[in-house]
Amino acid sequence: MRFVATLHVRTKPEVRDPQGEAALGALRSLGLDVSKVRTGKEIVVTFEAVDAHAAEDAIRVMGNELLANPVIEDYEYDVKEAAAA
Amino acid sequence: MTRVALLRYPGTWSERDFAHAFSLVPDVETQILWHEEADLRGFDAAIVPGGFSYGDYLRAGAIAKISPATKELRRFAAEGKPVLGSCNGFQILCEAGLLPGALLRNASLEYRCDWIHIRVESDRTPWTAGLASQVLRMPIGHGEGCYVADPDTIAELEEKGRVVFRYTDERGAATPEANPNGSTANIAGVANADGNVVGLMPHPERCVETLLGGTDGYRVLANVGHALAGTGRALYR
Repeated sequence: MRFVATLHVRTKPEVRDPQGEAALGALRSLGLDVSKVRTGKEIVVTFEAVDAHAAEDAIRVMGNELLANPVIEDYEYDVKEAAAA
Repeated sequence: MTRVALLRYPGTWSERDFAHAFSLVPDVETQILWHEEADLRGFDAAIVPGGFSYGDYLRAGAIAKISPATKELRRFAAEGKPVLGSCNGFQILCEAGLLPGALLRNASLEYRCDWIHIRVESDRTPWTAGLASQVLRMPIGHGEGCYVADPDTIAELEEKGRVVFRYTDERGAATPEANPNGSTANIAGVANADGNVVGLMPHPERCVETLLGGTDGYRVLANVGHALAGTGRALYR
């Protein structure tokens, strides 16, 4: 079965996000009343797994072993069976 | 003869500089090993040089973590053999879990290419034996050098003497102004629990002769010969 997983990787709340801070300053310079910016990334993975349970296991391997660094990042994911072509 | 392996991942760029640096150290020979064929048997020490392995895609050092060379490096490190990672090599060692913590984007968001000073905080590693409290002048060149770890890890590193290098001014004072990237507690380099694996952001291989503007890197790299010719592991345990 083919699945599509969307992972949202974010810097942990206690870890500084200088990119977010720079964007915050820039947004304020546009005259906007912005109080906080946090950046992250979205990673979309299309992959094969025997069933939904195996797909979840595979996503956790992807997230824990490579796509996020648990020292500094958290991730959330959403997984769907791919629509038939 | 001490044999030092220089690991080359796709995008590594400092391995030839390390080969030149070690060519100045008596009784040391080096070999550059491509990451897919990295067999460390027969080597006495291994270097993870700087560069942009895998283009820094995902996170600096992240993809190198799952390379065959890194698996072999884990085995080699577990035997207690000396391992040194500089710049991207430090990032790889952290990503691989061979060293604690992580390296984030510099607090300034700017790539920093400069000469800085670091103080040797621990001489209980094969790379820093005999250099306790010395202030060394070395080049840096990095965009992701801000060392972070959770507070418990930082406390343990400080308590166990595993902070090996700290950014300081030329007199050895760890001031905020001397911190080029926002690293926690001015940390520039750390060691694993056994002391045989060390990582640092500065480039010792770029300051090994007066022509390059400094020789303090030689003092660190030449240590590998001493450590192995002498009492080996007992020297730093």
